[in-house]
Amino acid sequence: MAEAPPTFSESWYRIADQIIYLRPGVRVRRQHFRGERWHVLEDPFNNQFFRLQPPAYAFVARLRPNRTVQQVWAECLEKDPEQAPGQEEVLRLISQLYFANLLQYDQPTDSGQLFERYQRRRERETRARWLNIMFMRIPVLDPDAMLGKVLPLLRVIFHWVMGLVWLVVVGMAVKVAIENFDLLREQSQAVLAPNNLFLLYAGLILIKTLHEFGHAAACKRYGGEVHVMGIMLLIFTPMPYVDATSSWGFRYRWQRILVGAAGMIVEVFFAAIATFIWANTAPGTLHNLAYNMIFVASISTILFNANPLLRYDGYYILSDLLGIPNLYQRASQQLKFAMERYLFGLKKVDSPARGRREAAWLTTYGLLSFVYRFVVFGGILLFVADRFLLLGIIMAAICAISWVLVPIGRFIYYLATSPQLERQRPRAIAVSASVIVGLFVFFEFVPFPHHFRAPGLLEAKEKSEVVNETAGTMATLLAKPGKWVTAGQPLAQFQNHELDLQIEASQARMHETEAMWRRAMQTNVANIKPVLQRLDSDREQLKLFQDEQKTLTVRAPQDGVWAAPELKEFVGRWLPRGSSLGLVINPKSFYFTATIAQTEVNRLFASEIRGADVRLRGQAGEELPVGELEIIPAGLKTLPSAALGWHAGGEVPVSPTDPQGRQAIEPFFEVKAALKQVAGVSFVHGRSGKIRFDLAPEPLFQQWYRRLRQMLQKRYQI
Amino acid sequence: MITPTEEYRRTDHKAPKKPLSGLDAWVHHIVGFYTRRRRVLAELRAQAERIDGLEDHWKGLRDHVLQERLAEIHQQFRRHPASPDLPVHDALAAIREAADRHVGLRPYMVQIMGALAMHRGYLAEMATGEGKTLTAGLTAVLAGWTGRPCHIITANDYLVQRDAEWLRPLYRYCGLKVGFVSGEMNPVDRRAGYKADITYTTSKEIVADCLRDRLRLGAWQQPNRRLIQTLLAPQFLARAELVMRGLHTAIIDEADCLLIDEAVTPLIISTPHKNETLREATRLAHEIVEPLVPGEDYDLDLRHKEIELKESGRQKIHERCSSLPPLFRSLGRREELARQALTAREFFLLGKQYVLIDGKVMIVDEFTGRLMPQRTWRAGLHQAIEAKEKLEVTDPTETMARLSFQRFFRLFHKLSGMTGTAAEAANEFWQTYQLPVISIPTHRPCVRKVEPDHVFSSADEKWAAIAERICQFHSTGRPLLVGTRSVAASERLAELLRNHGLEFSLLNALHHREEAQIVAQAGELGKITIATNMAGRGTDIRLGAGVAELGGLHVIATERHESHRIDRQLFGRSARQGDPGSAEAYISLEDELLMRFLPNAVRRRLQDAFRSGLPKSGKMATTAFTLAQKRAERQAFRQRGSVLRMDTWLEDALSFAGMEFSH
Repeated sequence: MAEAPPTFSESWYRIADQIIYLRPGVRVRRQHFRGERWHVLEDPFNNQFFRLQPPAYAFVARLRPNRTVQQVWAECLEKDPEQAPGQEEVLRLISQLYFANLLQYDQPTDSGQLFERYQRRRERETRARWLNIMFMRIPVLDPDAMLGKVLPLLRVIFHWVMGLVWLVVVGMAVKVAIENFDLLREQSQAVLAPNNLFLLYAGLILIKTLHEFGHAAACKRYGGEVHVMGIMLLIFTPMPYVDATSSWGFRYRWQRILVGAAGMIVEVFFAAIATFIWANTAPGTLHNLAYNMIFVASISTILFNANPLLRYDGYYILSDLLGIPNLYQRASQQLKFAMERYLFGLKKVDSPARGRREAAWLTTYGLLSFVYRFVVFGGILLFVADRFLLLGIIMAAICAISWVLVPIGRFIYYLATSPQLERQRPRAIAVSASVIVGLFVFFEFVPFPHHFRAPGLLEAKEKSEVVNETAGTMATLLAKPGKWVTAGQPLAQFQNHELDLQIEASQARMHETEAMWRRAMQTNVANIKPVLQRLDSDREQLKLFQDEQKTLTVRAPQDGVWAAPELKEFVGRWLPRGSSLGLVINPKSFYFTATIAQTEVNRLFASEIRGADVRLRGQAGEELPVGELEIIPAGLKTLPSAALGWHAGGEVPVSPTDPQGRQAIEPFFEVKAALKQVAGVSFVHGRSGKIRFDLAPEPLFQQWYRRLRQMLQKRYQI
Repeated sequence: MITPTEEYRRTDHKAPKKPLSGLDAWVHHIVGFYTRRRRVLAELRAQAERIDGLEDHWKGLRDHVLQERLAEIHQQFRRHPASPDLPVHDALAAIREAADRHVGLRPYMVQIMGALAMHRGYLAEMATGEGKTLTAGLTAVLAGWTGRPCHIITANDYLVQRDAEWLRPLYRYCGLKVGFVSGEMNPVDRRAGYKADITYTTSKEIVADCLRDRLRLGAWQQPNRRLIQTLLAPQFLARAELVMRGLHTAIIDEADCLLIDEAVTPLIISTPHKNETLREATRLAHEIVEPLVPGEDYDLDLRHKEIELKESGRQKIHERCSSLPPLFRSLGRREELARQALTAREFFLLGKQYVLIDGKVMIVDEFTGRLMPQRTWRAGLHQAIEAKEKLEVTDPTETMARLSFQRFFRLFHKLSGMTGTAAEAANEFWQTYQLPVISIPTHRPCVRKVEPDHVFSSADEKWAAIAERICQFHSTGRPLLVGTRSVAASERLAELLRNHGLEFSLLNALHHREEAQIVAQAGELGKITIATNMAGRGTDIRLGAGVAELGGLHVIATERHESHRIDRQLFGRSARQGDPGSAEAYISLEDELLMRFLPNAVRRRLQDAFRSGLPKSGKMATTAFTLAQKRAERQAFRQRGSVLRMDTWLEDALSFAGMEFSH
């Protein structure tokens, strides 16, 4: 347990005879946090807050212009000797109040020092602005007077009846949305398309401005003041923001929660109205704008505003719900405490938590937000680096400094110089070093299972493409597509009148030649030989045509299922020779053809493949075991099916100029994996899916390093 | 009539630099290294040689011509005190000549170098007996000529008067008045002392006078505000009778002692303040902790001198706390009180930290071994010690003003100083006071023989060996100076010597009256002097007749001090100014330094190694001592740093409460 500050202070004389009291404008409100009473001092000029516990407040409340600090302290001691703060505590308390500008005093102040403090604050703010360049705020206007004018209206708006209205409207909108869910989903695919970006941004600004006004209005409605509204550059994207911090002083928790939630409430309400507009308009600008507003309100609310791990609305709501103000700071303090207490073995540190439950909350929140921050910051860095190359590198450097190097430097400085660690420094350094070494060993030397996935599709092992060998008009279908056919079974009948005519002409010519032959026999024997020759050729010609005629009946080349999905449409149509009519597929055995990008090839070819399995799209739950793998060691450029390419929603980038969508941009390699039949999974030729190769385990650092290198190589040709 | 400028300067002071952090601190650190670079010494030597070259010119001048020329230079200094083209070289050459004629001593080259260094704002490291007083005098003339208040701060009242008188002819000849302020003076004499161009005083006096002046001014300390008020409504501002002229230049003798060792000792102006509750509470607390057993109810943290209560101890306190006054009944306060009572019991020992004189607790300064009358420990602790000694518990004093030397000396516009030992703390001088250290070589090479340490496993063995050694040396007739760390240790040695039938002089907090005299005679044939470490600092030990032939003064250190500098100072007592001399240290594995600053495991290992007689154990012990000393120094440095930061923070935090010394 940490020690209480000493009862007597050597610096007491500095304030003993001073006359100090709270500034007249300071408001005091009582709030309850987790069942404990607190007093919140609020400075209306700059929205600064200060929380006091009852014993401290008992002292502060007694300060008067006609009493010295010494007298007030003596009075406190008399009234409640056990709880009254000691001299050291009073000293700290007063200095904190002084720093918060909540005090008035008789003595002329040290004005030089005040200026210096002001300057330091400005410097700090400037530095913070640059370090938080991803979230830079620019104040623009003071909406307080305006809000004051519409206050009566606000009173109407924030009324329980309006709550009902809200519920009804939103409920109806949800109904409309569910009814049109297919459309909604369909349209969402085009949201990030370049031609929609402007509308998306317009919708974003519109809905977020309403959102911010929601906060401002709620804050004003319950007696707060809203003096700053402005533009926040969120990753260089201008967004509106409002400063509703004066709500922190509200006495009732539900009011504070309401102010926090007001933005989202308003946003959802307007999204509901947008839903009606969207559902009742034909495609056009208004329709699209409404759609974008719905999109923004639903997605951004879930991802950002309601997410308590980011410091937006959800955070403040959670903080009020839990009754833990400054949740984030105190969670970090709690983590630091846990580290110092349990890892470094310090005895004299205090948990910022009051009670076990709060400690549990703080620890959980601290850990979650720590992990989450890693993810979000990493994402932002990649995003920026991806979009703006040069700027991206500069930004990445700044962010790397402020998010990685500075914290590391601070930690080292803390380890080296923190006076608290004085007694346990060797242990603290040893523990930190061993944690780092441990992590390093873990990532560098402990092999981890390691797989990679590739897209591909099912192909029957035995399959034949059916083509018409002779051009002709398709007359009838002799076998229904989808049925089992045996080899030689006629599948379709073609007609070719020209061929018929040719046969007839050819027959006539033969008859003529026969006649000539007969005449020659009678008249001119010398002519017999050439006439016979002509007869032979005529016969051959006829045979040729007749054979051709036979092929007008297209037959199954093998046993199997006759798959010809588009054949019906061909009936009555002229098909040139060699048109593909369909496939006869033997559904007994399939293999999976995977396309592997050239960046991944080395991994596959160089390392030992321990196994593989296939998951088909739509049946990801079923792992299909894979038999033998056949790697085709030659780069290909034409995909086995357009389904794998970008055009058809696949993963492989294909050339935009290829109308069939089968020409890959980068060469790829094919791997064929034999599959066995599995009950419950229908093997259909052409079904797409993914194959997963299990590679030899490899330490994580090597895996990550390779991925990073690949990404850099791909994006920046490094 | 005081001019407005003079009035302004009375409370004007330098705005001390705030402790730096982060990158700023690094840069400052590097700047510090640059200012201490080796080239500076070469520059100083070159300049001193140039001054030496001017010798013939000044030697040839007649007395009244020299004085006229000095007056001319004086005027130049007065008119352009900060100008870079002041004729410093001519000035120093002239002052040197004047010193030769009127004090009878011709400053050596090294003294000129020292004076130049100090004039440039350096801390000059000069060995004992190199003539620091005269060196300071040369610098003081330069500073006094500017007309700004110049203070020379020496170790004690005796030196204040002696030095002022000794150099008075020189100052007078240079057109300057010299004054001094010592302990028993009344305000009128003090004012006269400070009014002089150059004032000799002790640190205690100057800080106290400064504080009293500030108290008198109250809210009107800020010179700007006072100036405006005098212009607007002179009648409103009752002209306070101030003693001092202000703070501008300070030349500190034995600077390390003041600026480092005693840096955080605050000087307090206080009045007793009735506090029946506290008296009662401390008395009861002493009874409450009576049954608590160390190791069982609480743990001792020797290194930081702190008590950690255990659960059983808490329980015992809880059971017995009902008699306490209500103010001290709450958990936090009753344990604070109990811890204080235990601290008084475990860490504050009679004869070490304090002595009893006339039924009163008198603090002994651990560094100087001097008594600190007037001083009390913080509220509660002092009472706890009184309760422990079964004395009448006195009222705590109420502080009216307090100022540590650390904060005080940062206020001077121009700070310089000299000492025998500064190099170890060069970094701290720079960080805290912006005072770069420079080592001035000795006039004659030093011929001190330092023998290797004698290491013993127990304290008893050590003391026996020391006594034997003293007898052995005494029989040869060589004078001996034996340094002890505490009053108790010196008494113990005295007892031993008495048993051996030896005659000796004992110099400690209890026998301090003829300090300087005893120290001055310590070099006589056959003398044995036992002194706490820093007793008689600033006084030279001159060798008696025939002593040099025997090998000069021999110094025995009976323990290592927490700071290596203090050890060096003790050794530096012998072999001054090229005299012969020798020194050695006796240490034991039970010494406090090891107990406090070496991890227990290491210490036990060392003890085992030593007992089993490992060949290198003696060397290991010396290394262990060096290590412990390093750790102690570092801890002390950090403590001073945190006090400074705390003071700065307080200054900011309480700046509404009528600033003390900020701008």
